[in-house]
Amino acid sequence: MIVAEQKSLEEIKKLVGNAKKVLVAGCGTCVTVCFAGGSREAAIVSAELRMSTKLAGDPKEVADVTVQRQCEWEYLDEIAEQVQGVDVVLSLGCGVGVQAIAEHFPNVWVVPGLNTKFMGLPTEQGVWAERCAACGDCILGLTGGICPIARCSKSLLNGPCGGSLDGHCEINAEVPCGWQLIYDRLKSMGKLEVLMEIQAPKNWRTSRDGGPRKIVREDLRLVSEEK
Amino acid sequence: MTQDALQIIAYCCEHCAYAAADLAGGLRIQYPPSVRVVMLPCTGKMDVLLALKAFEDGADGIMTAG
Repeated sequence: MIVAEQKSLEEIKKLVGNAKKVLVAGCGTCVTVCFAGGSREAAIVSAELRMSTKLAGDPKEVADVTVQRQCEWEYLDEIAEQVQGVDVVLSLGCGVGVQAIAEHFPNVWVVPGLNTKFMGLPTEQGVWAERCAACGDCILGLTGGICPIARCSKSLLNGPCGGSLDGHCEINAEVPCGWQLIYDRLKSMGKLEVLMEIQAPKNWRTSRDGGPRKIVREDLRLVSEEK
Repeated sequence: MTQDALQIIAYCCEHCAYAAADLAGGLRIQYPPSVRVVMLPCTGKMDVLLALKAFEDGADGIMTAG
């Protein structure tokens, strides 16, 4: 899932600025399950905004709504009327959700209420950890299902480095060494020979280094008369 | 503000605290008029949204009993 964290109320208030009518838009998918921007969080932020601006002598009209997925334009159609009637939309979606609203409603001012952090998973209740860096050329098949791009601080392909100490990374003793994890897993699976193959430098053009990415599936596209 | 002028919302579990308040009423035991009791099916139902709603509607404080 995409994991995000809510911005502070102070920053949210600055982003909302002088707007009088605010719509807090939650998202029912990734940010709901990481407790950052679902319907409950949208209702809480709404109440906080209403109360804090009222106490500050600048009361705002704040409503909230949550769509199943902000990152698909089709889901945004159901809130079209509400977003058109406000001065600002405070999106509690990830960065994709914010941009989906901006693209779908060109005349609507939208600001982010979250900081989108990473793609990861919950490792225990209340803890999320990064697992995928979306490098665009998956090598998990070479590393026992543990990603050295996302989980090694240096994204090494032939690790570990000299900073690995007792299974931890030199950047922080609380961060497990990705390559130690890979080694341990391959050893437990009896597949250490996988590590004997030296990996060539990665082609980072499939990652962000190649600029904004896009996938086109001609077999799925609608022909012009179907659009 | 005097104590009686305060508005305290008491979210009480139907099965214990609310029943206790009911019994207190039956026994004619006084409690401050500032306390407004709201019955919950269980205090597990208590939520930050309920607290915010109470404050937004003018409560000075809330309490949960269960």
